[in-house]
Amino acid sequence: MPKPVEPAHHPYGPKVGALVERLASLPGIGGKTAERLAQHLLDCPKTEALAFARAITDVRAAVHPCPECFNLTENDLCDICRDPRREKHLVCIVEQPRDLLSLEATGIFPGLYHVLGGRISPLNGVGPDDLNLDALVKRVRDRGIQEVVMATNPNLEGDGTALYITNLLAEQPVKITRLARGIATGSVLEFANREMLADALRGRQAF
Amino acid sequence: MPTEKAEAIVLRTTDYSDTSRIVALFTDQFGRISALAKGGRRLKSSFENSLDLLADCQIVFISKSSGLDLLTSSQLIGRFRPQPNDLNCLYAGYYVAELLLGLTEEYDPHPNLFQVTRETLSEFSQAGLVARAVLRFELAMLREIGQLPDFEVCMNCGSLLEGAKPSGFLLAESGLLCASCSGPDWRGPVMHGGTLRVLQMLSQEEGEVWRNLVLIPQQFREGRQLTTLSISHILGKQPKSLKLLMLSVG
Ligand SMILES: [Zn+2]
Ligand SMILES: [Zn+2]
Repeated sequence: MPKPVEPAHHPYGPKVGALVERLASLPGIGGKTAERLAQHLLDCPKTEALAFARAITDVRAAVHPCPECFNLTENDLCDICRDPRREKHLVCIVEQPRDLLSLEATGIFPGLYHVLGGRISPLNGVGPDDLNLDALVKRVRDRGIQEVVMATNPNLEGDGTALYITNLLAEQPVKITRLARGIATGSVLEFANREMLADALRGRQAF
Repeated sequence: MPTEKAEAIVLRTTDYSDTSRIVALFTDQFGRISALAKGGRRLKSSFENSLDLLADCQIVFISKSSGLDLLTSSQLIGRFRPQPNDLNCLYAGYYVAELLLGLTEEYDPHPNLFQVTRETLSEFSQAGLVARAVLRFELAMLREIGQLPDFEVCMNCGSLLEGAKPSGFLLAESGLLCASCSGPDWRGPVMHGGTLRVLQMLSQEEGEVWRNLVLIPQQFREGRQLTTLSISHILGKQPKSLKLLMLSVG
């Protein structure tokens, strides 16, 4: 990858340099693209650029994890937790909010979710204490949850996280199931299509 | 930019973009490499979902003189299969990956260590020998990077480490001191004669002797102390996955 210019030495000055550096830190944005995006923000009408900045500020001020399930929301509780038609005794465990979105898109899961906020990955510095696990145990214990569906990613770390949670819930009177193995091992839910996910949810089996 | 073929074990994968990932691999002939797998996150790619942690793969990559190498294909030889429902076997695998990432350099080949890594990972498909296999791997790693103490002679006076008196382990020099060189005021870790003999046998490159070794609790405790102290000292911190791993003699 080409070495980016030091922010302080950007030809337009250090402020543009800092912006390019910020943009380049976004996932999938390399130095060249960051340079082009910065150029666009300088060329477009000022109101447009400022609206962009405000959208970021607003989102960060308003959006927070749902206190119940850790999905992202602008409200006290997320839309799913507030929906009275949802089955309250059924909870699907996912790693990230985007996995929840993928499963929601199938339109067939009637229950609630619990977002872990990652997976146990000591090589990336993530241990069990870094995930929303205490809240999960409390939820299962206090809310009369009858079935927990493991929908962690179908790879080594995702499976390992699911096993850890299964052990954690072993004392609780709750049925633990997992998605059917329609999705290739070693991959991630994010890239599975709707039908595959729907099949995996319908065919869920005992852990 | 030569195209290379190698057998490789996946040590870490990091998402790079919506579809690509960066993969750290430990290869048989080149040692550790870091490569960009374009499209490596898609379900259908030239990597066939082989790039899961600790999977054993046949890879083709383009070696770049600077920056990341480019992974062009990867075929699965075998997935890492820790004993089902045993987290300890899984965490032992994570620990092996963490040591390879932290203690080997890129493009520094360790063909023997590659072989030991493969054997060690396959050992974790059963819970029975996990503790011994981990200890054996740690010793093989220390030997490869030139940090394995001489278990037979005192590093100070050169006399044989024998007899009933325990030796002192001098961490900073990764060596052992006989009882008279460490002296009566020695406050550092000590290793009994039996421990040194067992560690010597476990660190032998060849053979299957280590499988049948029975360690008494003192030997196991001292051996773990030696490897853990050495490894943490070289890394500058305790390995993260070691905190999850429960090792006991048996
Ligand atoms: Zn919620
Ligand atoms: Zn001596």
